[in-house]
Amino acid sequence: MKVKNLTCLLFSLCIALPSWAKSIPKTATMDIEFVIPNIEASIYARPYVAVWIEDKQREPVRTIQLWVGEDEWLKDLRSWWRKVGRNDRAVVDAVTSATRPVGQYRFSWDGLDQQGKRVEQGDYTFYVEVVREHGGRNYIRQKIQLAEEGFNIQLEPTEETGLITLDYHL
Amino acid sequence: MLNKKISTLVVLCSVVAGGMLSSVANAHPRWVLPSHFTISKEGGDWLAFDVTASHGTFVLDKPAGAESARIIMPDGREERPDAVLRGKRRSVFDFHFTEEGTHRVQINGEPNYVTNYKVGKRDTNKRMRANKVERATLLPEGARDVTSTLNYTRAETYITVGKPSEKPFALEGKYLELQTITKPADIVATEPVRFQLFFNGKAQAGVKAEITRDGILYRNQQDQIDVVSDEQGFVDFTPEIAGRYILKASHRAPVANNPLADKMNASVHLTFEAILP
Repeated sequence: MKVKNLTCLLFSLCIALPSWAKSIPKTATMDIEFVIPNIEASIYARPYVAVWIEDKQREPVRTIQLWVGEDEWLKDLRSWWRKVGRNDRAVVDAVTSATRPVGQYRFSWDGLDQQGKRVEQGDYTFYVEVVREHGGRNYIRQKIQLAEEGFNIQLEPTEETGLITLDYHL
Repeated sequence: MLNKKISTLVVLCSVVAGGMLSSVANAHPRWVLPSHFTISKEGGDWLAFDVTASHGTFVLDKPAGAESARIIMPDGREERPDAVLRGKRRSVFDFHFTEEGTHRVQINGEPNYVTNYKVGKRDTNKRMRANKVERATLLPEGARDVTSTLNYTRAETYITVGKPSEKPFALEGKYLELQTITKPADIVATEPVRFQLFFNGKAQAGVKAEITRDGILYRNQQDQIDVVSDEQGFVDFTPEIAGRYILKASHRAPVANNPLADKMNASVHLTFEAILP
């Protein structure tokens, strides 16, 4: 009986937990520096880029950037299309912007999810998927912890991406 | 002169026999290959399909017909492709996909019947294209161990426009059928996949399926994945490498109360892609 009670208590605690969960601070922002590297190629096309955040359950939280051309090729961002794009055309329309040339870019995430709600503190994953016609694909994952402490993470260059810097600050 | 005549006759005979044999043997698995499996273009897009029968995975060979091709729309209704062309090594058709959801493209065969029997002093195995009714007048005297088999093959693939459908397609309740428990658009290399096999509308245990990846010509081994369905008809496997695959499932079983056959040999040839993780 006691054990059962304890289990019940633990269970209800677990269920109740989300309501205790704290949002990240209002001032919390993640600045992202992103480089499209110069690639020597006989046929060079600007890459398609998706940058997004998923939560611990691997559910998409927010698409931060989406640089694409015609939507016919959205599916070539294989992972982003499967996890985010195909499920919500409104998100696609809301975040799509044009492809970018070689260069260094800086953008920020305001800590809000796709519905405009501040996300809870906890473990998340930062994703970048880059595909280029006549070129390759890179799919970059980085676990991050969003809480009340800042961090600065550098992600090493890949074939299709230069140095990526994540700066989470309050 | 006589020699030449005889040799011509021999050649002719062997050609006829060979032709009959290959049509009876039906040994080349029939399959369909779409140009793409996923459509992200708003408003839909055209896709092209190749249909052939061959021994190699995605090696075009025989001009299998595609006149029976049907597209099962997300709401379950059937559509036909606009035009089907039959080439020397494959048939082709196009279809304009405009509705959101999962579509099944199927090129189902007609049931065909083969009768096997033994004859002569040496128990020679023979076969002919005949069902139980037809065989009565065709079997030679003294034929024994006579069985007629109904062969039926489904060649199919799935196309997903935008968001995949939640509801699986209804079963026809005949022959061998496959339901994709893992949605076709969610098959990812290194992740587990589950399908379910049904025979005459019921989940069927013991169905054997072999799964081979594209590019068989350019590697030494088939790298085949072999699976057998469990008590609930489920088959589970993990495609380790991204690419296009054919799953060939087949099931043999005796059939009762069928005026045309004693046994059934039913197959499903499913083409799918495992996307990059």
